[in-house]
Amino acid sequence: MTKYAASGTAFLTSTVDNRPVFRALTQWFDPEKQPTVGRTPDYRFSLANERTFLAWIRTGLALIAGGMACAQFLPSLSIHHLREIIAIGLLVLGGMVALRAVDHWSRTERAMRLGQELPPSKFPAILALAVGAGAALLVIAVLLRAFQ
Amino acid sequence: MTENAPTPDHGASAERTRLAWRRTGLSATAVGLLAVRPAFRPGAGPVTWLLAAAAMASWVLLVALAYHRVRGLASLPPEPGRRIVPVYALTTAVFALLGGLVALL
Repeated sequence: MTKYAASGTAFLTSTVDNRPVFRALTQWFDPEKQPTVGRTPDYRFSLANERTFLAWIRTGLALIAGGMACAQFLPSLSIHHLREIIAIGLLVLGGMVALRAVDHWSRTERAMRLGQELPPSKFPAILALAVGAGAALLVIAVLLRAFQ
Repeated sequence: MTENAPTPDHGASAERTRLAWRRTGLSATAVGLLAVRPAFRPGAGPVTWLLAAAAMASWVLLVALAYHRVRGLASLPPEPGRRIVPVYALTTAVFALLGGLVALL
């Protein structure tokens, strides 16, 4: 019943179903109170879902801590406001990770109740690409400084 | 097995979830310390103090939510998480907002 969907066609919430934003928000706060509540899943599955959510929250917190550390400890960089741009970028990414985490948690909870396949997500790949691109840019910056 | 007997927790999923909440709380503490730090710099104004106070308040909220959730996990079967989860995520997003304000000031 709860097979992991391997073929991901959905980005964030868009193509799984086209609920309005308000209903998505209601579902965040009460995934069980939706019109078709289905059956209560095995609590071990729900707890696994919760741990996945917490792991994403820690990922988001780490990004937020990185952004705050950039803002507070980095010296002013040669490019104007680059430090602030890096910090804000990391903070926005961290906030997005946290909000995506709760959205994915509620959709997974709902899918488990209804006995459907778990929602697919491209978010991990996008986050990996963003973090990789950021690291590559920093490597280039460090190398440029070293050879100047 | 009868209908109402709770499934035994051989995989210690409740304990692992409890520890996951603890780990997350520790991460949140690190973020909270970083958010409060600017208030102790020389020359910090009332705006910075307010931001730091807001960061402390959100940190207290995160700790309280985790405490409440861990208590809910103690029973068998554990109580479902429900509202604590979205509130926790939104508070984390508030941390990001506070960090952004600190960065811009």
